[in-house]
Amino acid sequence: MSMTAESQGLNQGTNKGASPAAAAATFSPELQIANMLGLCEAQMESALQDSDKAVDALVQAFTCLVDTSRSVKSLTEQLPAEYRESVSAGLNQQVEAITKQMASAVIAFQFYDKLTQRLGHVRYSLSTLSLFVCDRTQTANPDQWRRLMNTLRRLYRTEEERQIFQSMMDGMADEPTVKVAALKEETVAGAQVGEIELF
Amino acid sequence: MSGVILAVDDSASMRQMVRFTLEGAGYKVIQANDGVEALELARTSGADLVLTDVNMPRMDGLTLVRELRALDTYKYVPMLVLTTESGQDTKMRGKQAGATGWIVKPFNPEQLLATIARVLQ
Repeated sequence: MSMTAESQGLNQGTNKGASPAAAAATFSPELQIANMLGLCEAQMESALQDSDKAVDALVQAFTCLVDTSRSVKSLTEQLPAEYRESVSAGLNQQVEAITKQMASAVIAFQFYDKLTQRLGHVRYSLSTLSLFVCDRTQTANPDQWRRLMNTLRRLYRTEEERQIFQSMMDGMADEPTVKVAALKEETVAGAQVGEIELF
Repeated sequence: MSGVILAVDDSASMRQMVRFTLEGAGYKVIQANDGVEALELARTSGADLVLTDVNMPRMDGLTLVRELRALDTYKYVPMLVLTTESGQDTKMRGKQAGATGWIVKPFNPEQLLATIARVLQ
């Protein structure tokens, strides 16, 4: 779901063309918050689009490297016998080293995919909150806040997201950034290897 | 290694990573962007193994597994789920849908190849 403050007509509070009186008449803290959340979402979307392009270029470059290294390997195997002994061993060693680096790159690239997914959830959360804060009947009702939290919790797919959500819910006012940083240390270490389970 | 693997993921970079890894080991890789495309491809070209993501537009990976299992030609074909989802509930839904195994992203190329070789035996 993509939502901007503009698409909801939420810019009235900061309308560039509006007179000061009209702006004051439409001002409300909720609209300002919705505008700020819309701004955060727009910034995130723009940054993601830029990084998508950069990662696409990296993947293309990586594809070329993979193909080249495979060609080198194949050429080595076709070398005439008189060269094979002197050249082959050295080349094979180099190709093996490249192959190992490529395996690390394949893992690293997948973290970008995970990051995109997680930021997508953050964007959705911002949009949902932006709509929510504009409705006073909802914001005044603790049950509605709980429902909102449950909606956001159900978005999360990765263990890291769930842990951070739980950590924040367990002690929101208790130095959240310190908690998340500590949690990040644990989850990054744990996330290096994806689990495999055969049924 | 030989065999045709149907790789399904809505992320182009993920599909590329899977392709590098599998082609490097000698497999032929056919790719689909989502469950609908994968189902169509699976019907027209045979695959010896299906490797699918879960969260995708149009048709998710678990529905794809269920739909493929309903086809005679895919009743016994190994189907691995490759996803960021690590929750037990989703895993269980995957098992009930007919998945052969569950791999949490990021995958380690060597481990992925070893798992594929094992389920293809």
